[in-house]
Formats: sequence, structure tokens, C-alpha cells
Amino acid sequence: MAIVNRAEGRAYLTPLVGFLLFFLGFPAAVNLVYSISTVSFETLRSPSLTGFGNYAAVLADREFWGAVSFSMRFGVLTALAECLIGLFLAVFLTPLLARRSYLMAPLMLPLMVAPAMIGLMYRLVLHEFAGPVPYYLFEWFGDSPAFLDVDNAFRTLLVVEILQWTPFAFLLFYMAYAAIPLEVREAASLDGASALKALWWIELPLMLPTLVIAFFIRFIDGFRVFDNVYALTGSGAGGSTTSLSIYIYQAFFKGGAIGKAVAASVVLFLASLAVLYGLNWITGRGRR
Amino acid sequence: MKLNRTSFSAAAILLASVALPGISHATVTVLGWPGGSEETALRATVEAYNAQSGIADADKVELLFFNRDGFYDKLQADMAAGSNAFDVNLVATYSIGRYAPYMEPVDLGADAGKVFGESVLKTMQFDGKQYGVPTDLSLHFMYYRKDLVDALMQDDAAKKKYAEIAKEHLGKDLQPKDPDSWTWDDWAATTLYFSKQVNSDSPVRYGTVLQMKNLLFNMMVFQSLPRSYGADWTDKDGNVTVDSDAYKTGLELYRKLYDAGASPKDSLSYEYAETNAAFGAGQAATALQWNAAAADLTNAEKTPAVAAVTGIVAPPAGPNGRADHIHGLGLGLNKNAKNKEGAVKFLKWLATEDAALLYARSGGSPALAPDVAAKVSNERPDLVKLGEFASQYGYVMNGATSANALSIYELQAKEFTGYWAGQQSLEDALAHTKTGMQDLLKK
Repeated sequence: MAIVNRAEGRAYLTPLVGFLLFFLGFPAAVNLVYSISTVSFETLRSPSLTGFGNYAAVLADREFWGAVSFSMRFGVLTALAECLIGLFLAVFLTPLLARRSYLMAPLMLPLMVAPAMIGLMYRLVLHEFAGPVPYYLFEWFGDSPAFLDVDNAFRTLLVVEILQWTPFAFLLFYMAYAAIPLEVREAASLDGASALKALWWIELPLMLPTLVIAFFIRFIDGFRVFDNVYALTGSGAGGSTTSLSIYIYQAFFKGGAIGKAVAASVVLFLASLAVLYGLNWITGRGRR
Repeated sequence: MKLNRTSFSAAAILLASVALPGISHATVTVLGWPGGSEETALRATVEAYNAQSGIADADKVELLFFNRDGFYDKLQADMAAGSNAFDVNLVATYSIGRYAPYMEPVDLGADAGKVFGESVLKTMQFDGKQYGVPTDLSLHFMYYRKDLVDALMQDDAAKKKYAEIAKEHLGKDLQPKDPDSWTWDDWAATTLYFSKQVNSDSPVRYGTVLQMKNLLFNMMVFQSLPRSYGADWTDKDGNVTVDSDAYKTGLELYRKLYDAGASPKDSLSYEYAETNAAFGAGQAATALQWNAAAADLTNAEKTPAVAAVTGIVAPPAGPNGRADHIHGLGLGLNKNAKNKEGAVKFLKWLATEDAALLYARSGGSPALAPDVAAKVSNERPDLVKLGEFASQYGYVMNGATSANALSIYELQAKEFTGYWAGQQSLEDALAHTKTGMQDLLKK
């Protein structure tokens, strides 16, 4: 006999479904309408349906594809770097953290800072006349590179993002690594497996689900990046650091192109859905 | 039970203390420009207004501020949604056209022209109607290091070197001049002379600090250069003229100075604050910067390295003379205001001489008519210079108060910084800007 019958189940679920429909469904429906309309701030309540022109404009816009390229590269590279460094730290720091767990707190500190604050902080830290990094580079080498010019802005933003979010990957990997039963490691050791072989053939496969999930969480976060990039470079230099989120924000508020901005967000939504389904399919195939 | 009664009483007192002031006092809500001297001045002025005996409780003013970041975007969203959370809202010259559909014109009375002057009142007009009281005026000063320029003018060997640099980089025969008579070529030669990359003997690292970040306000700083060569957004028939030789000259000069190392390498991410920091650190010989920076750059406590040696002149001249971008901040009437009568009463008072002088004495930067400015010249000598530059060199580009003016500045910022960063050619940048402006001005 079921603990909750079907009617009760529906009754319990109704508020949640209602909540989701209202708070997620309504804006999504409005977005879909705006994306096929000519609409401005003056006509928000009376958009006129004009077809798929906004989608055509977005797909023909070189800046949209530039923003897609930036977000994709940024998402993949930061996720990869954060996972690799996080994994390295988890494997090498686990013995130390097992004895001195209080060290975990300072390692997690970067996660406590809002991304926009990180952007502002580095704006100061890297400023040629006020920041400590250029100051010491001038003191020691007589020169300092342009951290935020068109050649280096992307690399600088990568480093800033990686420094902030590697602790997140590290935390997940540390928990997964520490959760591997001691008996498994002892058995491998008795069978003569070296530490490297045990890591490669036993520990990493056991951590694989965590590795995959961490990579995709970090990829999604990197792909949709906005705050720290906007605060640090304002989509410069020369538009070279325009992420997809910044593109949508600028088209909506700065350009007043509401239909185009919303169409871009729908394209982003569909692409995200495709990636998530793809991921689901890959992990499902892995389990079979 | 006693505890419950006590708790109930405490809660009632707390509720009353929160709710009652809103009911019994301020019913004209003013949304002001947050932070900085504007907020300080507005607070003092409103306090004086509320203290007047003839102001009914129902017409007293309450101030509302939110963050500067994204201020205009938030205001846009609020006004488009028909918000009546404020009766009076901030408006700026470059955004009047955008907000005019959600505002109502106000009649400030005949005396307002005598207080501010007609050209300043125009900074708050759209389609010939007055949409606000001008409270603060912004324009640009050319800040320069008096000590460095004086030393250059007195040293024959330095003058020779200056002439060589001008010939090599600008292809012109130039000699050092007093900054108040600089042309843009003179300024460019001076910035090159004071750049380590061009002249290893320069006492400072850079000749200037260009604000080249992809930011609309940086376009306002830049455009006085092409303007002095005759640039405008459109001609009198409404045709977009951004691809003129004047714009090309200005854009190319910025690029040339940046490429030559006359401005910091990170200039492509520089705006107001970075420019102040660079000039204030004593490592730049000149800076074209907003007038609001004058208070800090000439304050020995805030900027000890250069405060005593900072000179201020109007931007250099081009073939068409000097040009100085002006725009005003002001306060206007929300169409959905709950207390329109009280709001209009406050705005009219704000446009009187007494209120304008009080605002000036409290730290604001109103552009006042010469005889009115003379009354505060001892306390605020900078306002005299502000009024002088605004009346002699101030300009507003054709279309710069239109509904899409902000979007046009955004477009220019994106395209022009793309050229400066080497992301696209000058021709492409101007072609994209022209097409975009034609579309935006048509809407």
C-alpha cells in the first residue's frame, strides 16, 4: 500500500507546480512573446507581433557570435583549469587536511566574495598607478604588462575566475577523494599498485561522477559569466570580452533592442537545454 | 501576560515609528543622484525647503536614493512600469528623450532664465519643452602639470627635443606653448614629449591619460576633440555625419597617442577613477577629465603629489576653435507622481536664485548666470570657471537629447574603442557607427 495516494500526492504537489508555473512559466511565456515582437520600453504592455525577425537579427549579428565564442572558450578553459588544479590540490592536500582540517576555512575564502567585488578588487590590484602587482613589477623589472589590453584581457579574466572558483572544485574533489574506502586503497597496495597507478586505475574512476558534475557546474558558471567581467573590463578592450550574458544585457538596456535581447536569451536557453540533454544522454550511456 | 503586553506595546511603538513619519510628513518623494556632491547638496537644500514655514506637511520633501551602478537602467525599468514610488526624478541631458514619455513638462517661471541662463535651461529641454530644473552641470577641464610645462618652456634643449618629437611623430613644426593657447596638435606634441616611450628623459611616465574604456561617458570626454574640428552627429537636414574628416582626425589622434605610449597601456580599461589615479600619482603630464575631478586633484590632502602644481584650462582648440561637451543633471516631474502639485511647487522653488545659491554653497555644481555666480565666487571659485567655459565653449551635439542618445553613445563607445584596440579598421568602425546611428535616430 502506498504511503501517499495519488490524490494526496497531487494535492501536495499543486502549490509547487503553481509556484513554478507562475514564477518561471510566466516570464518564459512573456519572453517568447517579446522575442517575436517589436517592443520597446514604451510598448512593454502592448508589443506588436512581427515574426522571427529578432531571431534573424541575432543570428546575423557578428557580435552575437563573438559573444558565443567568448563564453564558450571562457567556460571550457576555466572549467578545465579549475578541475585540474582542484583535483591536484585535493589529492596532495588530503593527508594534510586530515590532520589539520581548520586549513579548509582559508582555502574556501575566495568563494565568500561576490564576483562583482572580485572584479572591482582586481581593477584596483592591477591598476598601474594604484595596484600592488604593477607596482612591484615596475620596482623589480622596470616595466609592467598591460593586464587588460586587447592581447591580455582574456588571459587576465581567466586567471581571476580560476583563482576564485578553483576552491569550489577542490571542495567537491576533496570530499569525493576522502570518501574512497580505506580498504580499497589497502587492497590495491597489497596487490603492489604504486600510488600513481592506484590514482589512475582506482581513485579517479571512483571520483568520475564528481569530476563530471564539477566540470559541468563550472562550465555553466563560466559560460554565463557576467559580474566580474563587467566590473573589470566592461566588455572591453574593444568588445573583446563580451560574454553572452553581457551581450544580452547591453542589447536590452543599453541598446534598447528588447526583442533582439530576448531572442538571444531564448537561443541561449535552447542551446543550454541541448547541452543538458546531451550531458544526460552521455552519463546515461556511461551507466549502461 | 505582562511580557505579552510589553511585547505588544513595543511592537506598536516600533510600527508607529516606522509608518507615521511617512504618513505625517514627506509626501513629495524625490529620486536624486546618489553619492557624491550632488547628494550632499540636495540633502542640504531639501532640509532648508522643508524648514520653511509656508510648506504644508503634505508638501514636504523626502529623498530617495539608490545605487549609481546601472542607475539609468533601473530608472528606465521603473518608469516604463509606471512607478509612482517617486514624484520627482533625476534626469540628464543625454537621457531626457528616453524618459520624456514618462514625465511631464514643468513651467519654471520667468525668473529661472535669469538664474541659470537660457543655454543652461536648454540642457533640460526636449522638443522645446522644459522637463527639469538644471541642478548640476558637467563639462571637461584640461588638467596639466604646471611645473612640468614651465620647466619645458624655460629649457632650450628641451624645446629643441620637443620640436624634434613633434616633427617626427606629427609631421609638424611646433614649439612649446602656454596650455591656455594649446591646439590639439600642441597638446599631442606635449603628451609625446612627456612620455617615457618616446622621450626617455621625460620626468613622468606618460604624457596623458586617455579614457578609452568601452563606456558611454568616455565618448563624451572624447568628442570635444572632433567637435573642435567641426564634428556633429547630424547635419541640419538630419543626415548622420559621424564619418566626417573631423571624427577621423580625432579617432586617429587618440590611436596614435595610445600606440606611441603617450597614455598608459591599460587605457582601454580606463574611465574616470583610473584617470584620477594616474594623474594624481604624478605620472602623467596632462589629462582631459570631468570638472568634478577638480576638487580632488587640487586638494593637497587627497592628491598630495600634484595638488599644488595642477593647472586647469579649457580643452585645446581645433580649426573651429575650442569645444567643451556640456550636459546637465536635473530634477523633473514623474508623469505618475502621486503629489504633482507638491512636486511642481518644490521644482519651482528649486529654480529660484535663493535655492540655486544654497545648492551651490552646499557643494553642488549648478551652472549659474554670471551675476548670480558672482554671489558665491568666494566660496566656489570653480563655479565661475564652470560658467565661463560652459557659456564660451559648451555645445550639445545634434540629436544628443533624442530618445536614443544614450544608445548612440553606447554604440560609439563600442565601435570607437574597437578601433582603438585594433579590433577593426577606422573605416569599418565609422561605417558601423553610421549605420547604427541612422537606425537609432530614425526610431
